[in-house]
Amino acid sequence: MRFALPLGFTALAAAGGLTFAALAGPADDFAAAYAKADAASKQAVALKTQWTTTVATLKSAQAAADAGKYDDAITLAKEAQALAEASIAQAEDQETAWKDGVIR
Amino acid sequence: MLRKILLLGALALGAAHPARAADTVDPKAELKAFRDYFVGRFPKVPLDDFVNGPYSMDAGLRKQWKAIEEFPPYEFAVDKGKELFSTPFANRKTYGDCFPDKGIGVRQNYPYFDAKSGEVITLELALNQCRAANGEKPLDYVEDDMAALTAYMAFTSRGKRFDIKIPDDPRALAAYRKGEEYFYTRRGQLNFSCASCHVQAAGHHIRTEVLAPALGLMAAMPIYRSEWGGMGTTSRRFVTCNSQVRAEPLAPQDELYRDVEYFLTYMGNGLPVSGPGARP
Amino acid sequence: MWRAPALLLGIALFGAGAAAAAPSAGEQLAFDRAKGNCLTCHDIEGGDSPGNVGPALHDMKKRFPDRAGLIAIISDETRRNPQTVMPPFRRNLILTDEEINAIVDFLYTQ
Repeated sequence: MRFALPLGFTALAAAGGLTFAALAGPADDFAAAYAKADAASKQAVALKTQWTTTVATLKSAQAAADAGKYDDAITLAKEAQALAEASIAQAEDQETAWKDGVIR
Repeated sequence: MLRKILLLGALALGAAHPARAADTVDPKAELKAFRDYFVGRFPKVPLDDFVNGPYSMDAGLRKQWKAIEEFPPYEFAVDKGKELFSTPFANRKTYGDCFPDKGIGVRQNYPYFDAKSGEVITLELALNQCRAANGEKPLDYVEDDMAALTAYMAFTSRGKRFDIKIPDDPRALAAYRKGEEYFYTRRGQLNFSCASCHVQAAGHHIRTEVLAPALGLMAAMPIYRSEWGGMGTTSRRFVTCNSQVRAEPLAPQDELYRDVEYFLTYMGNGLPVSGPGARP
Repeated sequence: MWRAPALLLGIALFGAGAAAAAPSAGEQLAFDRAKGNCLTCHDIEGGDSPGNVGPALHDMKKRFPDRAGLIAIISDETRRNPQTVMPPFRRNLILTDEEINAIVDFLYTQ
């Protein structure tokens, strides 16, 4: 089914979270935030519901981190995650809602 | 006799349970409903005129278009397309060898459902498949050579009525259905489906542009767009439409894009090929 | 030595000009293609080449006396009309609450 994430993916994501929690520092905080955003973004791609805004915001987040601006980078990563999640919610809603617009 | 009873029973059920009826795929009925919707909504537009997109919706734009058509901006593409089409491959075969009727006057039959591969074959895909079969590298779907070839093929088919077939094959019906679903599904940060602009807002203006009706929307492809300052294939248009609603585009000629083209071109069945077209 | 008076003169001139012509934050957001982009679909006074997908936005205080209702329309009109073509500016994170409020302030001057 379209929305079932494979078990392995979920396990990996959880493991990733634990690993990052053990470290400290803004770079690591960013890495954790980016990983979450990237995971949501990849899920959106898999559902063919990716937004251009998500892609651009992830890029900006990485660019900010590369420039050492970790506060901005983390904010942008969180924004990207929110955008990705909104796009996933859109696909989930549209899975059935699309039929309501069909010309009959 | 039993079949008749079963069929009548099914029809009766369908009538009594509209939700269930809506879940069976009936392209013929949907085509009629689609056409009736646009004809009903735009009673002053002659049926064949819908293939002229925005020009069928706006008298001022139409005047400008008629002036442009005196020296069509796609002419160079048709000429180039003819040259490319007639130039043999390294192995001495030509594009004509891949197509029925030597590829002349056939645009109205694309896309078609290929039973062997179980996929929808668009004109652009067929051209690249032809190249591959003859040891040539594929053309970029959004670039000029592909636009030129499809422009030439459309030009030789002008006036012929679209005749897209949906065989009684569950895979073909599934492809049609997927294309239909894509067309009506909201996407992108702006939350627009293809229908948002080309059904609901058809004939309206977005800033200075007039939205073309979905009926016959594929008939003028490929198009010379003033906005692009050049030709664009169907692939290019699908990709740019996606980005405009802030949806990340699929790869050109992605299976889903081909399904959309299948559905949308079928919805224009009976209308004449008008491509290549000029658009604002 | 002449820089300070020149600067003050400049600020005074700019200030005078700005007071007469500067669009409000809400108007800027409404007309900005990357933000509200309202002109694409709506006729608004002072905007260039407006579209007509949606109704013209005039007499807004009279037509939408309930501020919360107007905010709701901009935030997510699909809740009221599932088939609307109006983008859900808040739900899809196109505009923030602050930006929507600024736009509503501007619309109430129309």
